[in-house]
Amino acid sequence: MKAAAFEYARADSLAEAIKVLCSATEAGQDAQVVAGGQSLLAMMNLRVSSPDLLVDISRIEQLRVVLDESDAIRIGACVTHAAIEDRAMADPSRGLMPMVAGNLAYRAVRTRGTLGGSLALSDPAGDWVTVMQAIGARIGLVGDKGRREVEALGFTTGLYETARAPTEIIESVRIPKLSAAARWGFSKFCRKSGEFAHSIAAVVIDPERDFARIMLGGSGAAPMCLERASQSLLQRAGLQSVERAAEDDLANRDDAHDEFQRSVHGATISSALSQVLS
Amino acid sequence: MQIRLTVNGKPVRADVTPRTSLADFLREALNLTATHLGCEHGICGACTVTLNGQPIRACLTLAVACDGYEVRTLEGLLTDEIMLALRDAFHRHHGLQCGFCTPGMLVSARDLIQRGKAGSDSEIRKGLSGNICRCTGYTDIVRSVRKAAEALSEAGKVRSPSGDVSKVPA
Amino acid sequence: MTRAVAKSELGVGARLLRKEDARHLNGKGQFVSDLKFPNLQDVAFVRSPHAHARIKSISIPADLEGQVFAADHLPHLTEMRAVPQVSGFRVAGYPALAKDKVRFVGEIIAACIAPTRGEAEDLVGQINVEYEILPAIVDPESVLESAPSLLHEGWPNNLYIERVFEGGKVDEAKQAAEIVVERRYRMNRQVAVPMEGRAVLAYRDQRLDELVVYDSTQVPHIIRLGLAEVLGIEERVIRVVAPDVGGGFGSKARLLPEEVIVAALGAQLDHPVRWIEDRGEHFLSSTHARDHDYKITAYADARGAILAVDAELIVDAGAYALWPNGPFLETGMAARNIPGPYNIRNWRVKSFTVATNKAPIGPYRGVGRPGACFAIERTIDEIARQVGRDPLDVRFDNLVQPSQMPYMTIANLLFDNGDYPGLLRLCAETIDVAAVRARQKKGEPDGRLIGLGFACYSEQTGHGCGEWVTRGSPFIPGFESCRAQLMPDGTLVLYVGIQSHGQGLETTLAQVAYEELGIHPAKISVRHGDTGLSPFGNGTIASRSTVMAGGAVAKTSRLLREKVIQVGAHLLQCSPSEARCEGGAVHGPRGSVTIEEVARVAHLRMEALPEGVEPLLTVTSTYQPAIDTGVFTFAAHAAVVAVDVRTGAIEVLDYGVAEDCGTVINPMIVEGQVRGGVVQGIGTALYEEIPYDEQGQPLVGTFSDYLMPGSAEMPEIKVAHTETPTSFTEYGVKGMGEGGAIAPAASIANAVRDALASIGAEVNETPLTPRRVLAAIRAARDRVSPANGRGQRK
Repeated sequence: MKAAAFEYARADSLAEAIKVLCSATEAGQDAQVVAGGQSLLAMMNLRVSSPDLLVDISRIEQLRVVLDESDAIRIGACVTHAAIEDRAMADPSRGLMPMVAGNLAYRAVRTRGTLGGSLALSDPAGDWVTVMQAIGARIGLVGDKGRREVEALGFTTGLYETARAPTEIIESVRIPKLSAAARWGFSKFCRKSGEFAHSIAAVVIDPERDFARIMLGGSGAAPMCLERASQSLLQRAGLQSVERAAEDDLANRDDAHDEFQRSVHGATISSALSQVLS
Repeated sequence: MQIRLTVNGKPVRADVTPRTSLADFLREALNLTATHLGCEHGICGACTVTLNGQPIRACLTLAVACDGYEVRTLEGLLTDEIMLALRDAFHRHHGLQCGFCTPGMLVSARDLIQRGKAGSDSEIRKGLSGNICRCTGYTDIVRSVRKAAEALSEAGKVRSPSGDVSKVPA
Repeated sequence: MTRAVAKSELGVGARLLRKEDARHLNGKGQFVSDLKFPNLQDVAFVRSPHAHARIKSISIPADLEGQVFAADHLPHLTEMRAVPQVSGFRVAGYPALAKDKVRFVGEIIAACIAPTRGEAEDLVGQINVEYEILPAIVDPESVLESAPSLLHEGWPNNLYIERVFEGGKVDEAKQAAEIVVERRYRMNRQVAVPMEGRAVLAYRDQRLDELVVYDSTQVPHIIRLGLAEVLGIEERVIRVVAPDVGGGFGSKARLLPEEVIVAALGAQLDHPVRWIEDRGEHFLSSTHARDHDYKITAYADARGAILAVDAELIVDAGAYALWPNGPFLETGMAARNIPGPYNIRNWRVKSFTVATNKAPIGPYRGVGRPGACFAIERTIDEIARQVGRDPLDVRFDNLVQPSQMPYMTIANLLFDNGDYPGLLRLCAETIDVAAVRARQKKGEPDGRLIGLGFACYSEQTGHGCGEWVTRGSPFIPGFESCRAQLMPDGTLVLYVGIQSHGQGLETTLAQVAYEELGIHPAKISVRHGDTGLSPFGNGTIASRSTVMAGGAVAKTSRLLREKVIQVGAHLLQCSPSEARCEGGAVHGPRGSVTIEEVARVAHLRMEALPEGVEPLLTVTSTYQPAIDTGVFTFAAHAAVVAVDVRTGAIEVLDYGVAEDCGTVINPMIVEGQVRGGVVQGIGTALYEEIPYDEQGQPLVGTFSDYLMPGSAEMPEIKVAHTETPTSFTEYGVKGMGEGGAIAPAASIANAVRDALASIGAEVNETPLTPRRVLAAIRAARDRVSPANGRGQRK
């Protein structure tokens, strides 16, 4: 299928992008920001999404900058998955992010798809949404009212819904540097390499920063923090205790009745946990 | 909208509608039909070409977004060292049957070899997971890529993993 | 008919590299969508969003007149009518453009034409159709009781045909049974997914006054036939050309509405038009496949020797019978292959070919056999478990033995030759059974369970006149044709009626001609797929091309050779009996003359021709094998799997095939066909399915939800061969193109059964998704029945 017709504007600066977005919104146009377009264009090619205007932010230099902020790395929203995979910048995640990036979709998609784009879409089966929430990242937004930063955790408010306002753009993602003693685990269940996962488990524990979080994504509208299990992990409980706590957390899910889904979630959680608690 | 880009080493100027995909632009406006459309949702890989040296999905890339960029299709890579080895290997090792997936497969395979990711069958299989073939069952494709990589390696022609992906030339 | 051939580097038996590779490796393939014509416009279709509805009105905006065509705009089109010569088959027409009713989601109501596809789709959005929704028939089983609505007016129910197949005396034989195994099997609906979808381009050639139709099809002459009928024009003014075709696998061997509509528009309009299928349309309305439901009751003795099989088979054939054959072909092949390659003398199949509000089904690699193989091979494993023996041994006991060849099955399939047990043994060797068993015993560090499963089949190929008549086929593809034309410069062109879409026939047929004429394959062109060039042929389907077209080329080349010898001998001043044609020349007692020289004389120097011999060196002939009932290729498959009992995920760790397809013209190509077929079979086994909801809405539409086997998940496919020439074809060749896809669902399901033996879980439905595997494990654990998991492995 071919996309429906739309207007296209390429923004050379953030200010320009925001201006165009705002005036389009005021004029009642359905304007969408596009960076890599790997998700958006696929939907547009199916005519599932038919915006009136695309605002291309992929050339805005500012959005590709990577900054070292001493206790965190701030990655520009338009940094591609391939760049992260290739370790083209300092890695705050001690290998977690390059590994996740390298197993995302396919190389020819990774060279265009962006970190910010993934987070803005917040597909529950997308890896970054779960992983950024697991690692305690913060998302930098910029709009006509200025800048703000929000926790990645809770950024997803519903199915394909986020805390980003329609005239805001994700500018950067601030990822805290994991300390030397930090450990992480990641497991996802896909039937086929590159396809969307049915279950994603991401575990990060950084005792020096008093941080432990277990995130579960892949099904449901938004990734879920396994609160009990995360607590248990922080308190240095053993693998089996943490797994039991995770089961309790799972029982609270909307799809808890789906035995297959539960079993699969249990499997990815166990796998991710055993990378951390061997 | 007016765009100017380089395609297979030649400068191109064109007027395209925003919704024209790079794939359709190449195929319809420039008559470069090696790049095929198999799904238009980025999964099958038949449309894989390079943009500024990186493999991309031409079906998920707008022509207007390529203004100022460099695009290469199979037609523009025929005499590339890695591609020569690949084409020879695909012929010798029966790496194609109907030929429809082949251009995209070759572009992806070339990228793998260029980045030093064709060292083993399992690495090749993982690297080609973004290119679907319905005819061959993959065994002969994987062998072809491996043989090409070995031949290039022996001849000392494989470069180390390619340059900085974070730099996207404007 | 059979001639033993010495292996050569260029002829039969050579691993000759493919002639067709060059253009594809140069990016110069020419698929329909690559063709350029001035003023070419694109077609997009208005398709029904409902599974079953009456069309109340179609509103076309006035300013779109001339760009939109509904049924009323093309009133001269007749319906496609598949009329197999099978008594009891209910015929209903399939209109290319729906007029009164739509019967499946995706059925075409109107065509919109615009300079680009995107604009044509924009037009589609402007067409308003009003429907009166009718109850959708989605569950084929429900059809057997009563139905809330009828798909086709005038039918008493929604059954194309009910038919009982039987042989022997099932009711008697089952009395002697010591064990009974009863199971239900489902092979779910899927599609063929060639990487190139369907595509049609049509225009009127004013100079030649003919309609030219470029079509991504496997059967150009048959398409021409169908178009002539439906469009109401003479065949001599239609030319159908299949240029490069990006895979077909059976799905491009039927006449479909899009072909009719685009051809009609091409005939009528003053500019070329084309329709290029997008992937969503492929899932929606290309030829659907499989969709079988089996109830099998097998009766065996205490050793597992099968005494009788009593079966019920439901084929969900969708809303229409596809031209020319209709869906009974599928049912018949499935029913007749339930006995498989086993010595089963009592067999009965009550079959129901059901009409539902889904896309029509048609052939796809293996046709009815993957389902039948799944049913019988799973059953053999269950019989083995019940009698406490190794499934491999029970197979050996039941297989048709070499001493029984030629063997007429109870379903009237005449196996010509083959050492079936020998191949099964060879297959087991490719997999190293002992090592797998050792690994199973040891246990996996990650806790997964290892399993090993087998399946085998005997594939009827190259079947001829009598067999197709028996099947009630309206057209009898029992022959193939070839015109062999030597050019004045001694190079050769072969015009054949088949169509090569990946099988390498441009190479293998040249190898055959080389075998007979000694002309180097590099100097031979094979022209196929074009009704304007080739004599009438039946296309590439049913694993027939090697036998039929190979035979036609061999025969025609030999006839040509006779004339070459006649002329050559005359030039050499000897008698033809003293001369021979070899290595591209005619040799006599006193010298040699090249084929080039002979050809030059035959075209340009007619005064040097012998008395009574006319100019030109062109021969046209047809070929049929010496037997009608087909020549049978046997293969045994083995799958080694690892099953994760927490996720239900199945990984195929190893896969081996041992096959005998008679004499092999090009081993490289044959191995490629096996591997490609096996991976398609793994797709059937593990990934591919088009489910429908209760309203008849298909639930997949993209590669995100219809998973395709990819390189990362597939094992290396090991292929072992024996070559036992058959007596009935040129060189003793047999067909084998479909076979690889027939057994994997069965071998993998058996391997999973083996892996889960300690749990007693069985998965008897394809694809074996993680969800189904976990459900089977859960069901087994919940079950208290003593009948499970009792089989002891040695």
